[in-house]
Amino acid sequence: MAPLLEVQDLRIHFPTDDGLVKSVDGVSFSVERGSTLGIVGESGSGKSVTSLGIMGLHLGTSARITGQIKLDGEELVGADPDRVRELRGGKMAMIFQDPLSSLHPYFKIGDQITEAYRIHHPGATKKQARQRAIDMLGRVGISRPSVQVDAYPHQFSGGMRQRVMIAMALSNDPELLIADEPTTALDVTVQAQILDLIRDLQAEFGSAVIIITHDLGVVAELADDILVMYAGRVAEYGTAVDIFGQPSHPYTWGLLASMPRIDRERTARLVPIPGTPPSLIRVPSGCPFHPRCRYASQTGGRSENEVPPLREVTPGHLSACHLTAAQRAEFWAELSAGKVREDTREPA
Amino acid sequence: MISFIIRRLIAAVFLLIIVSMVVFAIFFILPRWGGQTTYGLATEYVGRNPTRSAVLQMIDQLGLNKPLYLQYWAYLKAIVVGGHYGTGTNSVYCPPPCFGYSFKNQQPVWPAMVSDIPVTLSLAIGAAILWLTAGIGIGVISALKRGSIFDRFSMTIALAGVSLPIFFTGLVALELFSYKWPIFPNVQFVPFTQNPALWARNLVLPWVTLAFLYAALYARLTRAGMLETMGEDYIRTARAKGLPERTVIFKHGLRAALTPILTIFGMDLGLLLGGALLTEYTFSLHGLGLFTIEAVQNQDFPEIMGVVMLASFFIVIANLVVDILYAVVDPRVRY
Amino acid sequence: MRRKTGMLAAAGVVITLTAAACSSGSSSSSGGNNTTTNAVAFNAGVTGTVNASTRKGGTITFDNSSAPDSTDAGNTYYAFNLNFTRLYATPLTTYKACTGACGDQVVPALATALGTATDNNKTWTYHIKSGVKFEDGSPVTSQDVKYAVERTFDRTVLPNGPSYFASLLAGNAATYPGPFKDRAKNVMALTAIDTPDPTTIVFHLKQPFASFNYVVAFPQTAPVPPDKDKGTNYQLHPQSTGPYMFQSYQLNKQYTLVPNPQWNPSWNPQVKQLPSKIVVNLNVNAPDIDNRLLAGDIQVDQAGSGVQSAARARILSSPNLKANADDPITGFMWFYYINTKVKPLDNIHCRMAIEYAANKTDLQTAYGGPIAGGDIASTAMPPTVRGYSKFDLYNALSKPGGDIAAAKQQLQQCGQPNGFNLNVAYRSDRPREVSSSQALQESLASAGIKVTLKGYTAANYYGNFAGVPNYVHSHNLGMAAGGWGPDWPDAYGWGWALFDGGSIVPAGNTNISELNDSAVNSLFTQLEAATTDSAQNSIAEQIDKKVMQDAAILPAVYSKALLYRPTDLTNVYVQTYYGMYDYATLGLKS
Repeated sequence: MAPLLEVQDLRIHFPTDDGLVKSVDGVSFSVERGSTLGIVGESGSGKSVTSLGIMGLHLGTSARITGQIKLDGEELVGADPDRVRELRGGKMAMIFQDPLSSLHPYFKIGDQITEAYRIHHPGATKKQARQRAIDMLGRVGISRPSVQVDAYPHQFSGGMRQRVMIAMALSNDPELLIADEPTTALDVTVQAQILDLIRDLQAEFGSAVIIITHDLGVVAELADDILVMYAGRVAEYGTAVDIFGQPSHPYTWGLLASMPRIDRERTARLVPIPGTPPSLIRVPSGCPFHPRCRYASQTGGRSENEVPPLREVTPGHLSACHLTAAQRAEFWAELSAGKVREDTREPA
Repeated sequence: MISFIIRRLIAAVFLLIIVSMVVFAIFFILPRWGGQTTYGLATEYVGRNPTRSAVLQMIDQLGLNKPLYLQYWAYLKAIVVGGHYGTGTNSVYCPPPCFGYSFKNQQPVWPAMVSDIPVTLSLAIGAAILWLTAGIGIGVISALKRGSIFDRFSMTIALAGVSLPIFFTGLVALELFSYKWPIFPNVQFVPFTQNPALWARNLVLPWVTLAFLYAALYARLTRAGMLETMGEDYIRTARAKGLPERTVIFKHGLRAALTPILTIFGMDLGLLLGGALLTEYTFSLHGLGLFTIEAVQNQDFPEIMGVVMLASFFIVIANLVVDILYAVVDPRVRY
Repeated sequence: MRRKTGMLAAAGVVITLTAAACSSGSSSSSGGNNTTTNAVAFNAGVTGTVNASTRKGGTITFDNSSAPDSTDAGNTYYAFNLNFTRLYATPLTTYKACTGACGDQVVPALATALGTATDNNKTWTYHIKSGVKFEDGSPVTSQDVKYAVERTFDRTVLPNGPSYFASLLAGNAATYPGPFKDRAKNVMALTAIDTPDPTTIVFHLKQPFASFNYVVAFPQTAPVPPDKDKGTNYQLHPQSTGPYMFQSYQLNKQYTLVPNPQWNPSWNPQVKQLPSKIVVNLNVNAPDIDNRLLAGDIQVDQAGSGVQSAARARILSSPNLKANADDPITGFMWFYYINTKVKPLDNIHCRMAIEYAANKTDLQTAYGGPIAGGDIASTAMPPTVRGYSKFDLYNALSKPGGDIAAAKQQLQQCGQPNGFNLNVAYRSDRPREVSSSQALQESLASAGIKVTLKGYTAANYYGNFAGVPNYVHSHNLGMAAGGWGPDWPDAYGWGWALFDGGSIVPAGNTNISELNDSAVNSLFTQLEAATTDSAQNSIAEQIDKKVMQDAAILPAVYSKALLYRPTDLTNVYVQTYYGMYDYATLGLKS
């Protein structure tokens, strides 16, 4: 069966006074029904812009979008904005990072949910919509939903608010749910609850989920597939088993190595990725990661000049790196053992 | 919500009491510090050509030789209960609320003020409707079409409106539209109950003059508020839900942008109800503004005191109403 | 009175008024009964009547930049109001409605004829026309006239208005407190006036007074029904004996008159009942009044002292507008009182310093320049009053820019070599007075006299502020702006209320200088006892010179006024006595 979502060579550029910002520059992936894709990367890697692009939320701005986004076979890039709006909130829904600022402070949460419902179900009566809201609130674990349906966002805690957002997003049975950093603003215990909720609901509704995060722990919990983005491009793409088991890109290694792990010796230092994310207006030539890559010198100069193509490591596991597969396997083994190669260059 | 309203009401009442104390201090305590004698102070309230017996009667009535708190009580009592002024044929009962006896008008202050209220009310409310519609409308459009010609043009005009004084725009308006081209001849106040059409027609120039200033201000405020609001996260959520853009702008955006403007409006309207001095003077409309000017020119203490209390009352009430409205609109404020 | 017009023929000849010689009661006219109808042209209202018509109907709107001192005819002194109150209050005598010197004649109104004088002009008898009624139909009797005069004695209730009756009447006039206090005792208790029958009234005077017909021409003799008198609130609805009556009065805003159904034109042949409504708007912006007048929104500027500078420029430069304008010599003066009691002005040399230092040209410019302001004045009496002689004690004419050197000499002599501080009162709603006071401030500053200006509204100026000696003393008002027209056309009618010590009253005072020079006082007494013209003229001249020697006033201009008459007004002419258009004859064309 065809994937629910297929993204091909998506480019999203923003013309500004300072230059052309290439937020997303050639990203491709797909998501099957019932599965979860995790998109990881630093701030500025283009993850949110990609998801907003899928939802069509750049329409009406100055963004230039090329490429293909096919939702259930229907092309969204260049489609009629009203058609995209029809799908938005209906067939595909999105939840955001900060539920306090993402919910309108003036309206009751029940009203905000019914609003979403009635836009996509024009024949529904107020009563029906309200009942639906109460049902959804119950589904996401809000106690006494028939009372809470008339409460205001500021009357809830952070975790409850995020549940409300999920209820709102799922009220129209979307086939695709995009969750943009859904737990970043929450504390850890609540985080776990929310993630469990998403997984349960996915199982129940059979929707595809894209979860965007910079937190690898979250990804490990939920994702079937993982897309690692850097500077608007794909660095590595594969199943969770692939990425966690045999990561095949220096950036991914950096992400994994910079995570505190319980099985590491306490006294060993964390290994952060040196340097800062690049400017999206002046993306570094060749491999965009090369200024920060410990291994760039190993490619004989190609990192500075040639853009690495996305190549298969194993079937379904792709990586954009000039290092050979053998080299990568070797370096990863080193790193896993705790040995960090000295970086002989100045950080870029 | 009800408890919120009750608390606000109580606060307003307290505020009015404090205002009355401050007014009392201004008129009865400050002159003493300036060296005024008890006799001299009483003279200001008796009025024209005060005879000794009238002044002594006033000293007694106002309790000017008694301790301060008794004086304040006498002053409050007069407002609430009323009092007698003058002797013989001229003895007059001044019914509550009694702010004293104006020696210019030879009658109690309150009726003179009350007859001026309809003028100021007509002027303020008419102008308010105009400037809210124009100002907010232009502000919203400018915000949505930020950077466009409309935006730049309207913000420039708004800058002019905010910078030009009323006595300039008013006089220009009169010269052009009343005298040169008699579209609105003979601007003078006609009571609404007497002739609604003429009432409106004569007020058009003053309304537009007054509204021009405020509309400019509100356009700029609304534009800024809209721009800020439209960048909020909940707007993104509204769009993500698939709502039509018009709903996003007006239901989700404008309502949030307008609440701070509501507060400012309350202040502006409250101040204006106490008398739109410049506008009334320019157009010779006898409202509370002109009343105030004349009272000051004539050094008529009771009239000045009366109009200060009345204007303060309007401001307190206006702010109370606005506070309550704000709580109705923004549920976060209700506690 | 405060404003008056002395009418000149177009050639500008000084009038010789023989009208004042009508002590025997019959009027003789000079200059003829001039009711020529003139075509519309500049000054057409000065030489004749413009738009003569008997057409009735329409609404005439008056605007006033302040308000009358009172609408109560017994409580007013402003010339425009003496003019206007005739619409609803008929005094015993009035002035003839005709152009030129003719308008200075006093003729009977409520009375059947001018008074019969007996006992060497000490007793005056008048008969009231029969059938005269108040607006409610009740008959007017001589007692109503006596009561009207009695009520003017209480200056706490009615502070404005002239005080001739209090000073001239015999009997218990000196101690009579007025009818408001202790009503039962004091109503009808003034022994100086007898009412032997309902249509006869007899006045007993302390001393001979040949000009008494002029005194009763003041609206203080218009009848007032005692049972309807509300004291200070009578002004809200005075009971009419004229062609119009009050329909409504909103204090400080507007009053409206409508035709009085009881009116019979025989009661006062000088006034007409033409418009169907008369509206007076109060407290209108002064410059705005001119705009409205020129635009045709209103018909008359009630104050009648002429247009302000902006409109003046427009009118004089446009032939069309100029044809609707009149520029009469009004017969009165603008000046500043110099108080003789407030320190340091109690020293005559300090007052003289002011006389020398003031820049007369600047004052003239402020009042309107030579055309609309008038000629620079150097005397205390204008040329239109009998007995005028030209003299110049303080170089006002030879050094119109001011004589600072002489001023400084005077300052030395009064012990203030570096000048002194001075408060000057003026009417803040009269733009010309604002300008002139500022000009005064500047010119006195060059001599080191530091002036602080204090503005008051015209409506309360005499009643509450400058005209209240207690207030003047407690607020150190050393000088006060003033304007004046003769109460009647001779030196007594001009000067008694300004300069005689006996005219000083506690409120509504017009001798604001508080001059009480026994020499001047006795000259006034002699003036009224004099029998020949030449004797009167010589005494008048002496009074003038003595007042100027006392430096009791700083003369500014012998005034002219640029008046504008809208084209739809009928029967418009400049009435000599009032110094402005006759308000009681106006009608509307359409």
